[in-house]
Amino acid sequence: MSRPAFDRLLAVVGRELTTVVRTRAFLALTAGFAAVVGMLAWTANAGGYVPLVLDLLAPVEVLVPALALAFGYRALLGDDERGELDVVRTYPVSRATFVFGTYLGRASALLVAVLVPLLAVAAVVPLSGGTESSFLATHAGMDSPIRYVRFVVLTAGFALVVAAVAIAISATAGTARAGLALATAFGVALVLGFDAGLVAGLAGGVVPDAALPSLLALSPNSAFRGLVLETVVGGVETGTPAASPVAGLAGLGAWLVASLAVAVFAVWPKTDR
Amino acid sequence: MNPRPVLAVLFAFLLVGSAAFAVDAGDRAPDPVPFDDTVTMGLTAAATVEAGDRDVEIPRAEVFYTQYRYVVGYYGVTSLVDELARDGHERQFGAPLATYVSDYARAELRVTDEGHLRVPDDPDSFVGWVPAEEAHFVVDSRARTPGGETVVPFSSRDAADDFAADHGGEVVGWDGVRTRSFDTGGSTRESFRTEVDRQHDWADGRVADADRLEDRPVSVVVGEDADSLDAAVAAAPPNTTVVVPPGTYDANLTVDKPLTLRGAGSATHLRGDANGSVVTATAPRVGITDLRISGVGDTLVDENVSTDRGDDWDYRVQLGYGYGDAAVELAGANGSLVRNVSIETPANGVVARWSQRAVVDNVTVEGSDEWQEGFMGVMVMRSRVVVQNSTFVDGRDGVYTHLADGLVVRDNEMLGRDGLRFGVHEMYTSDALVANNTVRGADTGVVVMTRPTGNLIVGNDARDNGVGINVGGEASYVADNVVADNRYGLKAPSKVSLYERNVVAWNEIGVRAASIIPTNRVVSNDFVDNDRYVSAYLGPLRVWTADGRGNYWDDAPGVDADGDGTIDRSFHPSGPVDGRVGDVPGASTLAQSPAQGAIRTLQGLVPGLRPTGVVDEAPLAESVRPNALVDDGSRDRNASDRDATDPNASDQNA
Repeated sequence: MSRPAFDRLLAVVGRELTTVVRTRAFLALTAGFAAVVGMLAWTANAGGYVPLVLDLLAPVEVLVPALALAFGYRALLGDDERGELDVVRTYPVSRATFVFGTYLGRASALLVAVLVPLLAVAAVVPLSGGTESSFLATHAGMDSPIRYVRFVVLTAGFALVVAAVAIAISATAGTARAGLALATAFGVALVLGFDAGLVAGLAGGVVPDAALPSLLALSPNSAFRGLVLETVVGGVETGTPAASPVAGLAGLGAWLVASLAVAVFAVWPKTDR
Repeated sequence: MNPRPVLAVLFAFLLVGSAAFAVDAGDRAPDPVPFDDTVTMGLTAAATVEAGDRDVEIPRAEVFYTQYRYVVGYYGVTSLVDELARDGHERQFGAPLATYVSDYARAELRVTDEGHLRVPDDPDSFVGWVPAEEAHFVVDSRARTPGGETVVPFSSRDAADDFAADHGGEVVGWDGVRTRSFDTGGSTRESFRTEVDRQHDWADGRVADADRLEDRPVSVVVGEDADSLDAAVAAAPPNTTVVVPPGTYDANLTVDKPLTLRGAGSATHLRGDANGSVVTATAPRVGITDLRISGVGDTLVDENVSTDRGDDWDYRVQLGYGYGDAAVELAGANGSLVRNVSIETPANGVVARWSQRAVVDNVTVEGSDEWQEGFMGVMVMRSRVVVQNSTFVDGRDGVYTHLADGLVVRDNEMLGRDGLRFGVHEMYTSDALVANNTVRGADTGVVVMTRPTGNLIVGNDARDNGVGINVGGEASYVADNVVADNRYGLKAPSKVSLYERNVVAWNEIGVRAASIIPTNRVVSNDFVDNDRYVSAYLGPLRVWTADGRGNYWDDAPGVDADGDGTIDRSFHPSGPVDGRVGDVPGASTLAQSPAQGAIRTLQGLVPGLRPTGVVDEAPLAESVRPNALVDDGSRDRNASDRDATDPNASDQNA
């Protein structure tokens, strides 16, 4: 990317960040997410980093997509509705740069909203020491803050993927109502739909056991969950591997690239400039 | 807004954070710690104290687990191997992160004639630690510990070969040892039930043997053929009966031959002079039946006794407990019988010292009002005896046992009207059966101390005590008991023991999970209307579920939608919300909320790294023994009926 192109990208990112910071609804959502994560971590009384990950995993799987879709689904859509897209198109900015910049802006805001509370609640672990015997030798076992950092990084990746889908939705939806409907439908599909489909497939015999690891990777939630279980809990709990990490990464990567590609192609028709 | 700082920070975090996948997350093996700093398993206190007393070396092991924050020390590589193979071990502890075993390569081990290992007191001899994977183990040698067979590890193959050449056995690696089983661990339900039956059968046999003492021909009638009790005993030939007609007799009698002394029930009253024991049997096969005895001396610990057992590790205990005054003292009186005797005593009722196969049957002992002032209903010292159908009122302990492996205490009543510390008090006693006893008003109904193994505590009914039943030690079976209206229903400091089919009702605290090391199997128990279900203050979260079945908690929220007999929601009786259901209005509504659901979804995972408490992943939908409490005050004999060994017949949820 040439220097001017990079500056143009940053300009778009800056524009999005300004929008997010000025939108009180986003701030409220962020505060809500932080409050829920904080309360869950506190009441779970986890006692260790790995237990804390397990206690947060299920809520994060629901809350992070909700937050990501809320942050992203009107990004390009709003510009379109207000007619700003038509103005933008008069500038020397390609649709790829514009879409990618919009994505980066929204996703950065989202990451801040997700990462700050997750990193902050890790403090409950050293604080909730509990009553332990002082005359016996203790050790951490497999518990380690490093495993928690892995979880936070994976959550960031998951948030980036869902944010990309949200941008794709905002690029393809024609109206705000359609955008909301699409985002809601996709949110439900993430949390319930894909996995329920897999369960049904297994029950009906359509999905063979051997295909389960690769098919799981196609559902972003399952890919994320599998990655967490493998890299954070793996080795602590023993037994059958929870998922294939490579397939999970590939699945999430595919969702990311495909969504951004859809957004680029759908944001406005290709024009010769 | 300038996006550069935000992007830079996020990019940097993701980059640095990603390094967390590359670095190793604490899988490095920790170094060994002093054995005294570990949580220990294996071997009874009797065995370890004896080993310490006689300088017997016990090969040890030390394990760091992925999911348990304490280091676990094992007396005996044998107990480690058995524990690693135990069902449910990995569930609670995770995998071993590092395993160390004693290294005798530089210890210059000696082996005594009994096979005991001894490390010479020499600065050059040195017992170290070696990772189990690198060690060479000598198995099947003649080396032993007071607990039995042992495995001797060495860091060098040559040292192991030398040891095997001198003392027999073969040298195997860690994998070779792990394929073996040494029978040191807990048993299955079936083998416990079999053991209960075998113990009852053994006791039945001893009682049948003792019954024959009542069939001896009458040789002397006191008052007719002899003037006094002493004269009658002196005159009677062995294996005959001395009849004591109704009346009051001043007695301070010693029976030194196999005789049966038979009264006419409580109308025959032997009265001591409040000094020493009233009747002492010093020969095998003595029968003392159908009498009333009073006037027992009040000496609890006789300061003037000395014996030739000074080398025994428990000599002080022998002197401290075995020689107090008693109504009937059995001293080396194997196969004797005390039956239908009612006793009033400020000290012991019956003392049985070195009197194997003795039977105490249908005896009533009225002890001291204050337990501090009295002693035991039956004091059993180093004897395998039967105590049955007897009633013990007040005094210190109903039945006290010291090194009385395999004794049977069944169908007795222990009643604390004014006093009574413990109903049954086991010390250094393994493999005992304590069955169908009723205890009321004691500090503790049944208590097992000093880390013994293989005790069977079944079908007892303990109510209105400070603690119902408190079992320590390992590999014990606590089943079919009813503990109700106590401050604590059960205390469970035991390890690798099975608790099942107990009914825990109306206690202030149902169960105190007191073991720091969570190895008990607690399933198919009923918890009904306790103020608090459980308490625990040390150790990790315990999982009280095995093979997909847990316990019945009367107020556990949730439903059994799939009809498999278990509620489709785990229950956390020590948790802030579940612990309050049935107690605090609204707690059950809160317990069903999705927020609680989200918190608890994965709560059963990595229990070893979680704060202390109890979780039941498959609470039972129906009570296991719904009728156990209906027949209030009487013993629930059906539950422990020896015919009901068919698990399907006796477990209605199976």
